[in-house]
Amino acid sequence: MGLNRNVSLSTALRYKGQGPFLSFILHRIGGLGMAVFITIHILSVYIEALGWKIGDILNDIYMNWAFQIFIFFCVLFHAINGLRITLLDLFPRLSTYHREALWIEWALFLPVFGLSVIVILATAVGG
Amino acid sequence: MQVTLKIFRYNPEVDKKIHYETYNFEAQETDRILDLLEHVKGYFDGTLSFRRSCAHGVCGSDAMRINGRNMLACKVLVRDVGGQITIEPLLGLKIQKDLIVDMEPFFDNYKKVLPWFINDSPLPADERERLQSPQQRARFDDTTKCILCAACTTSCPTFWANDDYLGPAAIVTAHRFIYDSRDEAAAERLHILSETSGVARCHTAYNCTLACPREIEITRAIGELKMSMITGKLD
Repeated sequence: MGLNRNVSLSTALRYKGQGPFLSFILHRIGGLGMAVFITIHILSVYIEALGWKIGDILNDIYMNWAFQIFIFFCVLFHAINGLRITLLDLFPRLSTYHREALWIEWALFLPVFGLSVIVILATAVGG
Repeated sequence: MQVTLKIFRYNPEVDKKIHYETYNFEAQETDRILDLLEHVKGYFDGTLSFRRSCAHGVCGSDAMRINGRNMLACKVLVRDVGGQITIEPLLGLKIQKDLIVDMEPFFDNYKKVLPWFINDSPLPADERERLQSPQQRARFDDTTKCILCAACTTSCPTFWANDDYLGPAAIVTAHRFIYDSRDEAAAERLHILSETSGVARCHTAYNCTLACPREIEITRAIGELKMSMITGKLD
C-alpha cells in the first residue's frame, strides 16, 4: 500500500531546481503559448470567413498589446532557450559551463525583450 | 540555534492522508539534517521512519527533499539550509512510510541497462588482467562515482511524468560501462538507451546534475551518449 507514484503539476512546480529548471518551465509555457496563439489565429480566420462576430473577438484578443507582449515572450524565450539546449546537446563538453550558458541566455533575452516591450507599448499608446 | 523541522508524515496503516508535523528544538549550525532526524526519532517520536546507513555520503540511503530540493541528509548542514527546514520524501516513487519510498521501480530501471561488466573474450596471454591506460580509465571516471541514491532520477521532470523513462541514474550506469574500453556490450546498451524510454526523453533540465550529491556531470554524460548514438563513435 502507498500513495500514487504520479507527481502533481503543483508539486512538480514547487521543486527547487534553480535556474535551469525555471527555463525548462518557461520553455514549456512558451511552447504552449505559441500553440494557443496559432489555434486562436486559425480559428478567428475560419470563423470570420463564416461571418460570425466571435471571429472579431478572437482577433481582438491576439491583437491586444498585452497578448502581443505575452506571445513575443513565448516566441523569443522558446527560441533562445532552444538554441542553448541544442548547443549543450550537440557539444556535451559545454555542459560543464551550463550555468554560464544560462547567464548568456538571459543576457541576450532581456535586452531584446525589453526593447520589444517598449516598442509594442509605444505603438499601443501612440498608434 | 533554534530550528523548526517540518516533516512529511504518512503511515499507510493509520493515516488516510499525508500530513506534516513540526518539531522545534535547539541544534548546532554544524549539525547535519540526518542528526536532526535522529533527534526527532530519539526524543519526540520514535515512529518517524527514514532510511540511513553509513551517514557519510557513501551508501546513498538517506536521499530526500530538503527545503524542496533533493539532497543527502547526511551531507547537508543546518547552516546550509537555515533554521526553517522542511523535509519530504523523494518524488515519483511510492511512499511506503514517512520518508521511505519504494525504490523497486528505480532498481528495475537500473537493471535494464545491464549494470555489470560484460566481456566473454579470453583473458590476455598472461591470464591476469585486462589492462587499461590512464586515459581510457579517465573516460568514464566521473560516472563511476554514482552511489544509486536516486536523488537525480527523482528530481527529473521526465521521470515524474513518465513511468517508462529509465531515469538519469540508470543512464549514468550505462555510461560507466559503455565507455569502459574493457567492456564489450556497448552496442547492446546503446540499443537499450536508444529506445523511446531512453536518452531521447532527457530534456536537458539539469535538475539531475544539480541534485547529485557526488557532483557527477549527469547531463553531460547523457549528452555524450546522445552523440554516440548519432555518430556511432565511442570516443
